[in-house]
Amino acid sequence: MPDLIDEKVKRYEDLLNEIWTASEKYLGRATVQLLVERVVWELSGEYKETELLQFNENGISCKELLTALKENLNFPVDEMFAKFVTSYVEILSRLIGSENAEKIMKILREEVEKLYLDSKEGKEDGKIENRY
Amino acid sequence: MERLKTGIKNLDRILGGGIPLYSLNIVSGAPGSGKTIFVQNIVFNSARNGLKSLYLTTISESQFKMVRHLQEFKFFTDELLGDKFIYADLGDVARKQGPDKILGYLTDMVKKYKPNIVVIDSFKAIRDLFPDEKTFKAFVFDLAAALSIWEVTVFLIGEYEERELTVLSEFAIADGIFHLYGQEEKKFQKRYLRILKMRGTPFEQGEHLFEITRTGIKVYPRIKPAVEELQYEVKAEKKGFGIKDLDEMLNGGLPEGTITIISGGTGTGKTTFALKFLLEGAERGEKGLLLSFEEPLAQLKSNAYFLGWEMDRYLKNGLLDIKFISPIELDVDKHAFEIMDMIEKDRVERFVIDSISSFESSVSDIQKYKDYLWAIAQELKRRHITTIFTVLNEDLFSPLVITKTQISFIADNIIVLRYVESDSNIKKAIGILKARGINHSRDLREYEITPNGISILGKLDKANMLR
Repeated sequence: MPDLIDEKVKRYEDLLNEIWTASEKYLGRATVQLLVERVVWELSGEYKETELLQFNENGISCKELLTALKENLNFPVDEMFAKFVTSYVEILSRLIGSENAEKIMKILREEVEKLYLDSKEGKEDGKIENRY
Repeated sequence: MERLKTGIKNLDRILGGGIPLYSLNIVSGAPGSGKTIFVQNIVFNSARNGLKSLYLTTISESQFKMVRHLQEFKFFTDELLGDKFIYADLGDVARKQGPDKILGYLTDMVKKYKPNIVVIDSFKAIRDLFPDEKTFKAFVFDLAAALSIWEVTVFLIGEYEERELTVLSEFAIADGIFHLYGQEEKKFQKRYLRILKMRGTPFEQGEHLFEITRTGIKVYPRIKPAVEELQYEVKAEKKGFGIKDLDEMLNGGLPEGTITIISGGTGTGKTTFALKFLLEGAERGEKGLLLSFEEPLAQLKSNAYFLGWEMDRYLKNGLLDIKFISPIELDVDKHAFEIMDMIEKDRVERFVIDSISSFESSVSDIQKYKDYLWAIAQELKRRHITTIFTVLNEDLFSPLVITKTQISFIADNIIVLRYVESDSNIKKAIGILKARGINHSRDLREYEITPNGISILGKLDKANMLR
């Protein structure tokens, strides 16, 4: 079980860094960092664990979050990350326009598909795919 | 791109629909130029549209004082205070905790209240707290980025002088710059605004007049003089004066949608000809508007009565409208725009300005006067309004001078009224110098204005009118 969560969180970390890189083109590194800060702050009201996401100008790290999740295996990790990405893309869409955001979302969809092909939870309820 | 509607009439039009959302805008100007009222008008209009604003002051004006001043304006309502209008003192934080705490405080306030608009008044006071330009520039950059991420549209108000607008770092980072200033022109103390920069939207450049009234800010957009003369179709339809011989001289009347100058000395009957033109239109069901800068309505009515013309009927049924504007109050910047507004609203077909010489006396810059006339003429033509401008020719016996400021370039048609000496008598003569697209009469004809109206008489061979 711990191996699974390792793998899952690593994939989410890759996904978030994919978004980071894709949106950096439009917003610039400093602003992407601010955007992540905003999403973390907004989501932390619902999931305190979001505050364990670490980020600096080089990207996002889920190391601390992973440690916490290993001690709480019932935590809805997929739901939290899904909400994170949804919130991030929604704000991004308003900031840079839906047309540009759509380009980023195209990349994300491919990543999300890869991510959930191996995820039983994702396959079963289809919740995550429908969010994008 | 989504925009913040300012709700200020004509300002959104100048801005191509409004201010781009999440932009950082600087409102600059000298003390008393109207910066704070300008922004507060936008803020309260936005509040009525459900948007929340965070208003941060950096100088010692208390909320109480600000509210007291705002109560003078109709856009203000205390019901929005605390809910859609959040007031806070940023100056206290900046002074007591240092400039490096400003951004953190701002972010905390944004997180707390989630405003759509943030105003810092005055931002220039903040600049003075930073040790050097480099640190301040970094702060402005961080501020712009941070607030845009929180989807906030920002207004920074500052008492900047015009020379500072090109050198200070905040102006390089700003998305939009509004510069407000005032100046005395002839007898008027005028306020102007210029949009110096507005990223992400086309906007009307140049100097736009604005007023601060009890209802708030009123903007009168600059009427642009078109660089090239409008190419338009001269319509076949003619608009007659209802003066049989004159209409014959014009081969049926003035072509619809053209500009005509009636030039003449004092007492030659310019106003009378123009009024007859409107009455003839009213008789045919066409709406007419006369803007009189010389004679009030009562005087015009009295003249019409003397000539046997029934004006009241048309004034009552709305086919004729006469507006008297005292030349003392005449402000070309404002009225040029209002003219277009009236014409559009009332669907005017025949329009007279009596006289445009009055415009001239109210404008300090003669080039500006010419630009305005050109712009108005082009706009009237574009709308196919058949227009007469009367012009006073001070040289009673010199037919070749249409006006001293040479504005005949705006006219499609020129009718000249003048005095002629003949057999120890002073007679009046009418001639058509120019009529675009018409095979008009070249005759110089005597005319009379009597209680029976205007009568065009015979040809005046010896008038020597064109010599």
